[in-house]
Amino acid sequence: MRAMAHAVGKTIRQIRRRDFIALAGSATAWMASAHAQAMPVIGYLGSESPERYGSRLSAFREGLAEAGYVEGRSVAIEFRWAEGEYDKLPALAADLVNRQVTVIVAAGGAEVALAAKSATTTIPIVFEMGGNPIALGVVNSLSRPGGNLTGVSSLSVEVSRKRLEFMQEVRPDTKKFAVAVNPTSPTSNSQLKNLHAAADALGVELVVLRNHAEHEFDAMFTAVREMRAGGLVFSSDPYFAYRSRRLAALAAQHTVPAITQSRDFTLAGGLMSYGGDFGQSHRHAGIYAGRVLKGEKPSDLPVQRVTKVELFINLKAASNLGISFPPSLLGSADRVIE
Amino acid sequence: MSDPAVAPRSSLFKKYFRTIFAAVVAPLLIAGGSEAWFGYHDQRARLNDLLDAEARLAAVKIQDFIEGLHDQLSWTVQLPWSDNTGDRRRLDALRLLRQAPAVESLSLVDPAGKERLFVSRIGLNRIEGGDDHTANPAVVGARSDRIWFGPVTFQDGSEPFMTVAVAGNRMAVGVAVAEVNLKFIWEVILGIRVGRTGEAFVLDRPGRLVAHPDISLVLRADETAQKPLQTLRAAILAQPAGQATTGQDISGKTVLAAMAQIPGMDWSVIVKQPADEAFGPIYAALFRTGALLIAGAVLAAVLAYWLTQRMIGPIRVLEDGVARIGAGQFDHRINLATSDEFERLATRFNEMASELSVSQERSERISRLKRFLAPQVAELIDRTGDDRVLDGRRVEVVVVFCDLRDFTAFSAQAEPEAIIGVLREYYDALERVVSAHGATLVNFFGDGVMVLLNAPVSCSDPALRAVNMANDMQKSVQQLLVAWRALYPRLGFGVGLAMGPATVGRIGSEGRLNYTAIGNVVNLASRLCASAEDSEILVDRVAANSIGSRAPLVELDARALKGFDQPVPVFAVVSGSTTP
Repeated sequence: MRAMAHAVGKTIRQIRRRDFIALAGSATAWMASAHAQAMPVIGYLGSESPERYGSRLSAFREGLAEAGYVEGRSVAIEFRWAEGEYDKLPALAADLVNRQVTVIVAAGGAEVALAAKSATTTIPIVFEMGGNPIALGVVNSLSRPGGNLTGVSSLSVEVSRKRLEFMQEVRPDTKKFAVAVNPTSPTSNSQLKNLHAAADALGVELVVLRNHAEHEFDAMFTAVREMRAGGLVFSSDPYFAYRSRRLAALAAQHTVPAITQSRDFTLAGGLMSYGGDFGQSHRHAGIYAGRVLKGEKPSDLPVQRVTKVELFINLKAASNLGISFPPSLLGSADRVIE
Repeated sequence: MSDPAVAPRSSLFKKYFRTIFAAVVAPLLIAGGSEAWFGYHDQRARLNDLLDAEARLAAVKIQDFIEGLHDQLSWTVQLPWSDNTGDRRRLDALRLLRQAPAVESLSLVDPAGKERLFVSRIGLNRIEGGDDHTANPAVVGARSDRIWFGPVTFQDGSEPFMTVAVAGNRMAVGVAVAEVNLKFIWEVILGIRVGRTGEAFVLDRPGRLVAHPDISLVLRADETAQKPLQTLRAAILAQPAGQATTGQDISGKTVLAAMAQIPGMDWSVIVKQPADEAFGPIYAALFRTGALLIAGAVLAAVLAYWLTQRMIGPIRVLEDGVARIGAGQFDHRINLATSDEFERLATRFNEMASELSVSQERSERISRLKRFLAPQVAELIDRTGDDRVLDGRRVEVVVVFCDLRDFTAFSAQAEPEAIIGVLREYYDALERVVSAHGATLVNFFGDGVMVLLNAPVSCSDPALRAVNMANDMQKSVQQLLVAWRALYPRLGFGVGLAMGPATVGRIGSEGRLNYTAIGNVVNLASRLCASAEDSEILVDRVAANSIGSRAPLVELDARALKGFDQPVPVFAVVSGSTTP
């Protein structure tokens, strides 16, 4: 009896659902035609490829959904990828401006933000970057960014000195460390200054290795090994961050202890990473993009700083390198890979 | 009866409808109104309590966050400073950073006010930095009160930070000074939901926004934008403690807000709920009550209409019935089966109608009887409404016959107009006399007239009364005859009367009814009249014996009369003599 009632109820539900789907279908079709012009378009500017952005993109979509937008249903996203060639960014940004997108999302570094900023002063821009947006000339004020852009910044750039500190803690007997810097990065100078100050405070010697091309990575690790430096500290730079896998492989291959900003490096077998949580920063960028789509003005949205900084350490890599972590680091780590 | 088209000035239907409707609706209105009123106040009080509790809860949650920090920091100020504890303290401090994500950096200051350790998430750690902190207000404050909260500052004009300093239970353990990123309260605030969409926020003492679910409001650190929130707080403060108030939030929406203070920090935790959501249940209840009232009123109207209709319906039937009966339709019966007073009333009307029909029948009969009854008889019957006096019976009566002599010859030669004129005067005179003497003119045929005494109305001494009447008849008719003899000189007038038992009563069919007497005495009176001369009044022996000497009578020779075997003794009234 109950089963029958249940079956009847189910049938009714099914019928209703069918009707509803038919109705919704026609409504969607109608709306889709209406939306063809009306649906807002996000112009997403990325410095690399969709594959390298994968986890960041999903965080971004999460944030967008939190603000009530779903790609393909309530918002369209136009992607422009620089595929690692950062000098292409301004042209790609200009392309998005020509497409007259509703909002430009410039995610994945100061370069992208600056390229988008120089391309338009009218289309709202939501950026995601490391480093101090004021110092980098992206905005004038964090609380009242003014103009047409706002966004999220992580603390990755500020904490590059902490990476040196951690490396020095791991290799307390060594006084010489190598630092990898991308000279094309707008933050390279400030980071270098920071790192030199930290080296002075810690009483260590720094060897700066400038590098902005993937094919030079191998030579860089060879150099570190040959100079017998205690370890290689990567400055914060998206170019390095997006190539964490390759860097981890090279570090293992050259048995060089290294620390980068990205957790991807540690997860791929690298020794340590310390930097901002990009999952959070991209998610917040998604939320902001959604709020701008809803009509809020970028100038009213303060620049958000993702304050969470995470330390990842890989014990397997450490044992491969013949290194043991001091208890202070083991205790402080957000995640220990064993 | 009254014309049904003439509407009454005020209708019973309206009166009853109004009364019944009011009787039902007034208590309903009073009950509903008071219910709504008290319900509103109860709900309002409950809402107030709810918001107050939410505010306290939110304050407790934020206090818990601060207490948590305090507890964490307390760990670092338990052991006295000595030279070989440095590394352990560093580990403790690093573990604290790991445990308390809101702590951005931590300094440990020894009893002498020197900074012995500094750990940070961003900056480089320092061991034995040695900076002098004796004048640092955080250190001074913590030393005097064990815990010290700094003012909320906005780093880079945006992120809210606060310095928290904690001292141990004795000088030797020193002071821990932590920079706390208040953005982490955000997660606490985000977790607070008031109702469906209500939220909480935190203002510091000067009214700056410390925490708000929309973090960008906090980060913007825009004092003018936060003005409405300060106004809201002022409005709550103006209320008695624990009382919620309505105000406007940043977006200008009307909200209901309550507040709780965090002791020791002078922070205000304010919870707000959109007014339309907060009052939603109240409005829903009011709406429900209103709808019920309207439904009740409609029901009352229907009920009142039905009841009134039930009452007025029988009245209309009664009215119609009474109108028909009044119009003479006595066979009409009011058909009501309401089994109440109306039915009784209808039965009364029906009884009345049948009685009316009986009495009408009687009055018709009486009016018919009046034709041959003396006016006093008619009046008697009319008054008593009883015509049983006319029923057949055997009674001693005096029968008087009179007619005109030679009228047949006169009528053969005279003009009809003259004949009719003579007869009219003749009957007028006779009827006057008959009435005057209380006799009953029962019949007339041409010029002959039959008058009865002692029937149908009995009277005393009918014989004498008959003689006197006969005398008056002679007098009246003889006066008329003076004129009539000019038309026909041989006209005369004779009267005969006899007394004896006779059967009297109504005879004839329904259509033609007569009151008459049957018996020998009638015959005798008729024969006496026929044998009387002009001006003569002949009386039989029975009547003469009854009169005796009260009237002057003379016995004549006995006469042979038709229908009588023996000669009949005859008396004549001495003309001109009358007894009073």
